[in-house]
Amino acid sequence: MDAEIVVNTDIKQKDSRHALVIAIEHCAFFDQNGDWEPKSSNTASEVLSHGPAISFIKAIQRVNHKLMEKNPNETFLFDVILICNNQIPENQSKIVTSAKHYGLEISRFCFCNDASFTNSMLSNNVKLFLSTNRDDIVKTQERGLPAALLCKQVAQEAVDQLKFLFIGDSLGIPEDLKGEMFNVNQPHSLQITQASLKELVAVIGQMRSKFGQDDSPLRTCLVTLWSPRDVCVRALKTFRDWGMEVEEAYCLAGTPPSAILAQIQPHVLCGDGLYHMRDVAALS
Amino acid sequence: MSEIKPAEVKDASGEERDWAAAKVFFDNLKSKRPRPPKSCYAVTIAVSSRTLFDMTMERKIYEDQGLEKYVEYQQQHEDEPLKPGAAFPFVKALMTVNVKLRQLYPDSEELFDIVLMTNNHAQVGVRLINSINHYDLTIERFCMTGGKSPTGYLKAYMTNLYLSKDSEKVQEAIEEGIAAATMFTPDMEIQLSDTQLRVAFDGDAVLFSDESEIIVKQHGLDTFFEHEKANENKPLAQGPLKCFLEALGKLQRKFYAKNERLHCPIRTYLVTARSAASSGARVLKTLRSWGLEIDEAIFLAGAPKGPLLQKIRPHIFFDDQMFHIEGAKELGTIAAHVPYGIGQKYHKGQLIEKTGKTK
Repeated sequence: MDAEIVVNTDIKQKDSRHALVIAIEHCAFFDQNGDWEPKSSNTASEVLSHGPAISFIKAIQRVNHKLMEKNPNETFLFDVILICNNQIPENQSKIVTSAKHYGLEISRFCFCNDASFTNSMLSNNVKLFLSTNRDDIVKTQERGLPAALLCKQVAQEAVDQLKFLFIGDSLGIPEDLKGEMFNVNQPHSLQITQASLKELVAVIGQMRSKFGQDDSPLRTCLVTLWSPRDVCVRALKTFRDWGMEVEEAYCLAGTPPSAILAQIQPHVLCGDGLYHMRDVAALS
Repeated sequence: MSEIKPAEVKDASGEERDWAAAKVFFDNLKSKRPRPPKSCYAVTIAVSSRTLFDMTMERKIYEDQGLEKYVEYQQQHEDEPLKPGAAFPFVKALMTVNVKLRQLYPDSEELFDIVLMTNNHAQVGVRLINSINHYDLTIERFCMTGGKSPTGYLKAYMTNLYLSKDSEKVQEAIEEGIAAATMFTPDMEIQLSDTQLRVAFDGDAVLFSDESEIIVKQHGLDTFFEHEKANENKPLAQGPLKCFLEALGKLQRKFYAKNERLHCPIRTYLVTARSAASSGARVLKTLRSWGLEIDEAIFLAGAPKGPLLQKIRPHIFFDDQMFHIEGAKELGTIAAHVPYGIGQKYHKGQLIEKTGKTK
């Protein structure tokens, strides 16, 4: 059964040939214990009221706004779609109503099933899949589509800048050591993940380069969790070669990451395909 | 857990798993450099880029031409190592102590850990790391915030001492309860020991609170002497650098335990304007009540600190009064200002500088 696309008629559709399409999984709109029942008996409109996706979309909207300020005919904008593998009609309409109610700039809603999940995204030209469900993130990465974690924002001020944080440990490892360090099964999926990561980085880097050093609504950061300094620098240079000059870099070399991540406050946390987030206790 | 760092055991088993994985990963990379210690056991010193390296020229470019030109300049000169800065000798001395600690205690995580803590742009960071490589410094951890204040990260990296050229950041750190000081480059270079780390502290408003200094400033020396004698047995309250002295003491005891007291590569000094006879006892008794030792206590009774410090040759000297900082740096001592307490209201022209009036 194919996916069903519902277009959000409340907002102007982006040019999907040029836009940077991001798919957000429905669970990112809820709290951790998110369920389908609204918090109060009141309204279907409360369904999409919690979860990390809201501050993310607000930050995206700010980037788009600034891009349009520079060029009103800009087509290289962020385009957000919602993807959901729940095909119960009442729930679908709850989601659509809710998005409109909150004025969220979600251009399309894609309702599919588990089988058509990744394909629906690929056919919608999705460049990045965001979710709070780590298993879905890993599955998607392994199919060659960049996928990342949408993080809960703690402080209110964080809405100002859209922040991407990339984990770079495996990127900076010298080639000759990679074979030794990784077990037999990993190298292939690692290659797939890194190839798709390269594409994503290029596109984000392109978006970022539209703004100057000061006052950019978009910010990119690199963190290495376990590596020594030269690995972190190598990852930094790799990103630079791929077209993205990160502004912040953190080499933890084993320092517990949770406090540092809480300070960085990224919206999006992109693993490097090697040490998936579920392997790092502090990130789960 | 060590007493150097507060025990924060929110997810102990998760953290242990992460640490085990980190160790394996690091060891697999076969780096020639030693693995950095576990943060909760280490004495972590966070240094800014401008204290570690001399970046006066680059700073001028930033101030005159703005951020874009500054980053561009740094990227163009990425492969040129920077010259050493004020904190460089201190960092080298910390590394020397680590070598000896590792020899005596090969499995211990109780070591100095040096973190580069800078609000520089990560692209500028490449030049910083290249410079660190050039001098072969054991700095594995860094934090480059790309413009945001790094003080929020100090606790996250479990910092015990923060050194910066920016007094505002230092003040923020002290207000957060982290030992911190603003570093000054001495006017001349003097030869420092390369086998022994030497750290000199002022007493009031550095190791101790400023309660006694307030009395001097507001009521004069005579009242101060009476007060100190009367309260000789009442310990002074802690100052911002007390915990750092404590951390140094903990590492010193590791050498004593291996019969290395005579050759201990860490030596601490108290250099105070107090006089031994009239106000010195309280200071020594306070230290004793805290269970802390200081190797040498020098009571100057108001004499200038510069010439004495020149004899001691510390890798760093902490004082709360700019008057003493200036005196120290004139004669070649690496001085670090602790912006704490009532002394801050009295410098730059408002200082009471008549001889005999200072403690």
